[in-house]
Amino acid sequence: MTRRVASWLAVAMIGAAAFVYGAVDEGEPRTDSDRAYAISNTIGCPVCQGQSVVESNAPIAKSIRETIALRIDAGWTDAQIRAELRDSYGEDVDYTPSSEGITILVWILPVVAFAGAVAGLVVVFRKWKREGDLEASAADRKLVEAARALADED
Amino acid sequence: MSSATVGAVFVALGAAAALVGIGVVAFGLLGIHQRWWRDARWLAFATLGFSALSIIWMERALITRDFTVEFVAQHGSHQTSSIFNIATMWSALEGSILLWTFILCGYLVAVVVKFKDRHADAMLGFALLTLFFVTAFFFLLMVGPSAPFQSFDPPVGYDGPGPNPLLQSHILMAFHPPILYLGYVGFTVPFAFAIGALATGRVGEGWLLATRRWTVMAWGFLTLGIILGAWWSYETLGWGGYWAWDPVENASFLPWLTGTAFIHSVMVQERRGMLRVWNLSLVIATFALTILGTFITRSGVLESVHAFSNSAIGPMLLGFFGLIVLVSLVLIGWRGDQLRAPGRMDSPVSREGAFLANNVLFAAFAFVVLLGTIFPLIVEAVDGRTISVGNPYFERMTMPIGFTLLFLMAIAPILPWRKASSGVLGDRLIWPAWLGVGAIVLAVLVGARGWAPLLAFGLGGFAGGAALRQVVLATRRQGWRGLVGRTNGGMIVHVGVVLIAVAFAASNAYVHQSEFNLAPGETASIAGHTITYEGLSFREFANRTETRATVRVDGGQVYEPGIAVYTASGQVVGIASVRSTAFDDVALSIEQFPNDGTDRAVVRVTVQPLIVWLWVGGLIMAVGTLLAVLPGKRRQPTAPVSAPAVPDRVEVPA
Repeated sequence: MTRRVASWLAVAMIGAAAFVYGAVDEGEPRTDSDRAYAISNTIGCPVCQGQSVVESNAPIAKSIRETIALRIDAGWTDAQIRAELRDSYGEDVDYTPSSEGITILVWILPVVAFAGAVAGLVVVFRKWKREGDLEASAADRKLVEAARALADED
Repeated sequence: MSSATVGAVFVALGAAAALVGIGVVAFGLLGIHQRWWRDARWLAFATLGFSALSIIWMERALITRDFTVEFVAQHGSHQTSSIFNIATMWSALEGSILLWTFILCGYLVAVVVKFKDRHADAMLGFALLTLFFVTAFFFLLMVGPSAPFQSFDPPVGYDGPGPNPLLQSHILMAFHPPILYLGYVGFTVPFAFAIGALATGRVGEGWLLATRRWTVMAWGFLTLGIILGAWWSYETLGWGGYWAWDPVENASFLPWLTGTAFIHSVMVQERRGMLRVWNLSLVIATFALTILGTFITRSGVLESVHAFSNSAIGPMLLGFFGLIVLVSLVLIGWRGDQLRAPGRMDSPVSREGAFLANNVLFAAFAFVVLLGTIFPLIVEAVDGRTISVGNPYFERMTMPIGFTLLFLMAIAPILPWRKASSGVLGDRLIWPAWLGVGAIVLAVLVGARGWAPLLAFGLGGFAGGAALRQVVLATRRQGWRGLVGRTNGGMIVHVGVVLIAVAFAASNAYVHQSEFNLAPGETASIAGHTITYEGLSFREFANRTETRATVRVDGGQVYEPGIAVYTASGQVVGIASVRSTAFDDVALSIEQFPNDGTDRAVVRVTVQPLIVWLWVGGLIMAVGTLLAVLPGKRRQPTAPVSAPAVPDRVEVPA
């Protein structure tokens, strides 16, 4: 085993161990106010221009924040709280677009486009590989000579 | 003549100069006007002169509170302090277009001065034609629907409301818009040269080399403008956030994404002659997106805190956007044959392969942001539902892209062009890999948990290590010259990006926010900090009354968050107060003051780690950009760099 391989093995093992420990261990428990913040941050204020209820100081934003805190105290789940807010204030207070109807496109289109781009690149690279190296034509060589001559003059 | 008329005359003269400029350059290109260059030059100076006079005239009106100008009557006030009085110009629609046009004229003159030796070049002619055309468009906006100089008949003793109080609350507001505009408008120059290249059929590397520094500078200003905007938001709005995926923020981010993609892929074209259509498309898309962003900000189609008042310039901007896209597509289609790339890639595991991956990712990033921003409009048009697409969507969709970009940032700078062997990679990457693992271990030791932030820290350390490795090697080899030039400056920019990515991940993952209802003397604790509320104070200013709470953080220094009530409008604006350290930030704002005679107050406290590194990262990005445009290692601009590769010309990247 070379030193390089040993070094990479050590990196991989220490990195994986620390990462897995940090990812699995739950650490400090999430407080109610952390939960309330996480929900409020993704709920739009119904009367403000594009601000979440966290950002806004409008009375209705404050009241929604209070509602969220109360529901958490009462033991509701995040999904229940969101559903109630959508029912009371309309679908558009929820910053997370639903996956129903045409709204699902907003989730799917980027994935499809990205997959298409990657597939296209794979096809192009395979084609290039199959065709092998390009041979420089006489015209190409002439161009290079001309450019070099120009470079030497400078 | 009333002062509004004087200003309107300046604007009209500027418009006339730009229109005549279009004609002169067009006749010159047709061969009808032989000495077109001399006239075009003077006309460029004339547009700058008249736009400067318009700005001076507007500032004069704002400073002297000349309410016979309607813009001043609507946005100026005797109560506004002097620095914000000057900044009032870009706080509202008409004045912002005025500033935009002035900067555009500045770029036009800069092009005319810089390329004065190349005036026989038809490509420059078409670029100037494009620049005059864009300039004329913006002047015409000010002649027509967005006229800054309209007269107003103020009643005796009239005083205006002043600019939006939010914009008066922080000094950064004076700098954020002009710097942002320097970025937005700067992309007009590479766009103009791209059109010139397409029109003349000289679609090779010439136009790229001519505009490379311009693009990088524009990109740097845009970066700095966005960061300053985030900073302003964080320091003044008091909700602990700095980026909300608001439509207008997205509008500034979109050209940044395509511009970043271009700055990278342009290197592939320079070295290997490939990606010509793609690079032209990126430059055109970047410029078109700045216009689309202007439309989104100024038409009222999307709700945003940043939106200017609804106005009639929306349709004109949308039409202009359509025209840019149409003309560009037609030109690219027409020149299709010449655009076919002569080169090819040998292996995906190479520098150019990494740049290609970078571009796919940035394009995907831009697609997600664009789609999310306009999707509510599409849904409403299709089936009448009103929906929102907000931060959960953007964060979920862009997180995998961000991780992959960080990974690429780590390996791309050390990849050689054409082909790489695993031995080379193994040797060059081990040191950055140790830094990445070190970052994870350190984060776990200080208590960080959760796979996503840990992955961000690890990849951040890896990418930062790769960038630092390049900087160290370059300075060891070249001394101080190892810090300047595109490659070295670029690596310093990378270090800034890594800091921002790590700070973004940490502050999002470990944010704690709580509201505390406290009586004077009471203490609350949150995320290891103690907050003691000590009492209230009141202050009277010319234009506002401030109520501030005295809050002691961790038993040490005192902070004073509060609210300000603006006399003229009655608007209530929060005043945030932030205690920053290298490790974490404690942001304070006041939710509610007592109205029952007691001294109780509701204090909102947001604790987020590493926030300060966002701003440090931004500063490093700006410095890196500056270093990148300084001339670095000399290389013949005409030297052939495409295959066949000549061994002694191959740059060894490390």
